Amino acid sequence: MNPVLGWRGVLGRGLELVRKELLQLWRDRVLILFLLYVFTVDIYLAGSGLSFSLHNATIAVMDQDMSQASRELASRFQPPQFRRVPAPADPRAAQRQLDTGRSMVVMQIPPRFQADLGAGRPADVQYLVDSSNSVLGLLAGSHAAEIVGRYNLEQSAARLAAAGAGAGLPRVDNAQRALFNPNQNEAWFMGIAELLMLVTVFAIILPAVAAVREKERGTIEQLLVSPLRPLEILLPKVLAMTLVILAGVTLALAVVLRGVFDVPIRGSLPLFYAISALYVFTTSGIGLLLATIARNMAQVGMLAIMVLAPMMFLSGMWTPPEALAPPVRALMAVSPMHYYIDAGFGVLLKGMTLAELAPPLLAMTLLGALAFGAGLARFRRQFS
Amino acid sequence: MARAALVTAMDGSPAGAAVVNLRGLVKRYGAATAVDGVDLAVRRGRMHGLIGPDGAGKSSLMKIVAGVLAHDGGTLEVFGQAVTSERSAERVKQRIGLMPQGLGQNLYAELSVEENIDFFARLRGVDEQALAARKRQLLAMTRLERFRERPMKNLSGGMKQKLGLVCTLIHEPELIILDEPTTGVDPVSRRDFWAILDGLVDERGLTALVSTAYMDEAARFATATMMLGGRVLAEGTPAGLLAALPATVVSVRCGEQVEAQRRLGAHFRDTMLRGAWLRTVVDAAPEEPASERARRAEARVREALAGLAVEALDTAAPDLEDLFIARAAPAGAPAPLPASAPAARRAWPPGYHAIEAHGLVRQFGDFRAVDQVSFTVKPGEIFGLLGANGAGKTTVIKMLNGIQPPTAGSGSVAGADMLRAPGQIKRRIGYMSQAFSLYLDLSVRENLRLFAAIYGVPRARRAARVHELLRLCDIQGIEDMLAGDLPMGRRQRLALACALVHEPEVVFLDEPTSGVDPVGRRRFWDILFHLARAEGVALLITTHYMSEAEQCDHISLMYAGRVVADASPEQLKAELGARRGALWAFDTSAPQAAVEALRDAGFADASLYGTSVHLLDPDGATLAARVAVALAPLGIAAGPPQRRPLSMEDVFVERVLELEREAAR
Repeated sequence: MNPVLGWRGVLGRGLELVRKELLQLWRDRVLILFLLYVFTVDIYLAGSGLSFSLHNATIAVMDQDMSQASRELASRFQPPQFRRVPAPADPRAAQRQLDTGRSMVVMQIPPRFQADLGAGRPADVQYLVDSSNSVLGLLAGSHAAEIVGRYNLEQSAARLAAAGAGAGLPRVDNAQRALFNPNQNEAWFMGIAELLMLVTVFAIILPAVAAVREKERGTIEQLLVSPLRPLEILLPKVLAMTLVILAGVTLALAVVLRGVFDVPIRGSLPLFYAISALYVFTTSGIGLLLATIARNMAQVGMLAIMVLAPMMFLSGMWTPPEALAPPVRALMAVSPMHYYIDAGFGVLLKGMTLAELAPPLLAMTLLGALAFGAGLARFRRQFS
Repeated sequence: MARAALVTAMDGSPAGAAVVNLRGLVKRYGAATAVDGVDLAVRRGRMHGLIGPDGAGKSSLMKIVAGVLAHDGGTLEVFGQAVTSERSAERVKQRIGLMPQGLGQNLYAELSVEENIDFFARLRGVDEQALAARKRQLLAMTRLERFRERPMKNLSGGMKQKLGLVCTLIHEPELIILDEPTTGVDPVSRRDFWAILDGLVDERGLTALVSTAYMDEAARFATATMMLGGRVLAEGTPAGLLAALPATVVSVRCGEQVEAQRRLGAHFRDTMLRGAWLRTVVDAAPEEPASERARRAEARVREALAGLAVEALDTAAPDLEDLFIARAAPAGAPAPLPASAPAARRAWPPGYHAIEAHGLVRQFGDFRAVDQVSFTVKPGEIFGLLGANGAGKTTVIKMLNGIQPPTAGSGSVAGADMLRAPGQIKRRIGYMSQAFSLYLDLSVRENLRLFAAIYGVPRARRAARVHELLRLCDIQGIEDMLAGDLPMGRRQRLALACALVHEPEVVFLDEPTSGVDPVGRRRFWDILFHLARAEGVALLITTHYMSEAEQCDHISLMYAGRVVADASPEQLKAELGARRGALWAFDTSAPQAAVEALRDAGFADASLYGTSVHLLDPDGATLAARVAVALAPLGIAAGPPQRRPLSMEDVFVERVLELEREAAR
């Protein structure tokens, strides 16, 4: 007869279950390859393939003045931001160029441009910007405005200087120093952001998949009739998946972020691991919750997308909370990813310490505990 | 007209030309060969059966004939046309109806009965007027009219299969191919389904190719082909098949059952326990005259058991399952189980019950899934819980396992109280589910090791226990294979081994033999008998194989949440015999018409088995005369009625039909 196990027995049993989860994952070669891919190549692609600046925007100048002034203005649209393409013959052709995507910006310089400038009358230029990608459209517009603005300033300054009033002109000089990422290296930001996002994705998906696989195969029944308690069934899964994700984080940090992108790790690495472990552990509650709802793998996938998409939009990764409308900002406060992003960037790039990170960590733990508690409670209810 | 065609087909005249003709058909999936050189001819107007366990190649073969799967070798002719390409398959498809495997697999759960039928009709381009007429007719025949509006998902298993049949027939195919239409359907609905199918085949002159995993259903076909491992084991009419097995089944009741089993196992090819009886297949010597067989078989069994007290002995003809086993494992059963030391038997206080259930009730909202269920199981007893899907078997097991608390009632399992100590119960029982809940991506040894750890088997004991189980369950030498790579029979025995790691005194087995071939099933039952008889383990088993129900010591039959019969299989059959009479079988020239006429004449349970008619009747002496009177107006002649042993299926079906009639009143 089997006696009731002491705490050592329970621990040993738990470790055997963790071992089983790792073994099962190891045998799933497709999943292993996928994990290897995302924690290396995917992060590399995110860091080097995504950019928020304007590169080689195609611009066609419809110069109807053909004057020295108009040529001077047009010549200021230069690489790397802009690339000149042949000018269209008439407005109709210009429209077509925009429609077909052959140019992103069409600038029209009307006849009498130089004459107007010379006479001191306001001279117009028009740009048509393809803003179907609103970020690029915005950037192209603002770069163009800056170029024209500077041209304008120089023209005015030259006129004033000619009039002998140039010396006393007021002006503000703009000195910018970028902190934490002095070269504003996008790979640093994007690489870290992608890593934090992947941690979130897998913290939800891996435990959910592990739990649903048991449901699909019917092995969950076998565990439920055993002396295992629900927590003893779920905890080893979460532990095993936390280990796997931390291994992925190590790979990404060592090979891609440090190895390729030279991200300086300013804070304490153990602190980052501790935070990530805590985050994975608690966020997995969401995955377990999904596993109690879904009946099969496909449903897990769909539910995960449904949960992950808003979590990411509300994470503050792309838009700081201050820029959002108050109700959306309130929603952001309940996205655990939001706090993880704060803490992750805080440790890795800003070198923040535990004491400085206490508030977001506390919030993250609280939310995670809620999610984990809800997952466990639903699991219990569903199976007993 | 159609009937006349059928009759001539039965006579084997040219009218029964081959509708389907296969020569050396081969189908491979990667390295695995699913169909391995099969020759088969399906004659027009006949119901041709394919009998075999999961993985025998039945489904692949049927899909190839239906033109939805390409073959890799051999030739295939359907309606006299060679099927060599997708285009040639397209040409015959319109004349074929295919019903794939799985309850309601080809139907749409959210659509109603009528919408499903309409969908299939329009898919096949049936014009609306013809559709309305056929729909009316088919719904009447299958008695689904009342459920026209009901969504398919709310139908019972049997009704889903009947709807599947209607949808298969709606474009009036000449050949219908039904893949395991009765798997997972309870025995009552199964009989109903066969009766409807017999009627349709007869009335429309249809040709049917039907597969089944139930050996006893082979008797229902005009021609039966037994398959195993992609090959044909045997083919012929049920009677012809049996004639090809010169053997006698000898059943003995004997006090020292374990010793008797050992001795019979050493002498004869195929021995199994059936409750208090041992059933042995004794092969006849080559030149032995048929009339002498039974007598000589009896003598040989008595000789083998010399010195043991034989309380009763019976001889009978072998059945189709015996034939299957004779062909599938001609070398005989594997080595006998390790003899267990008598010390392994535990001592129990007198009057101790391994399982006690008193007035168990489980209520789900308005629905009472289990209603006042009581029974007891003694140590060393094999207890069968029988019932259709939804009868409440699984809920009873869940309550006894401590997974679900009962709404009312009490009980104890393995000496632990159900209400107060569900945790203790969990430590003392073993459980094996119908899905063989194993980790398929773990090896045999890893599975055993994991469950040993889960059940807290002391580390020092683990290796020895795993070794014992590998031997007991006959899975040695494959310790490092992944569970997912094992064939079904071994996988099943591994699942049993996992349920036994902690030497439980009670083991629950929920449909443990689904999908396993008969040879594997016998091997499995050998282990169960060893556990019960030699180690005193109490076993509670549910099954939908009625032939397995016969092997239990005790049966509880559940119907609509209640226990409606509770006795040994022998007692249940004796009781049915006393109330309804014996089972009689006879051949006729037009069996389907005969069945209809007999039913009209008051033989309510007359049913068709291949070319013979079965019915229950208390008065054997006057039966032949009364049958002749009933059939005379139709000009049908009947052979002399022969007495057949009643089966548990007869018990089950009669009892349930009786209850249904009571409920209707």
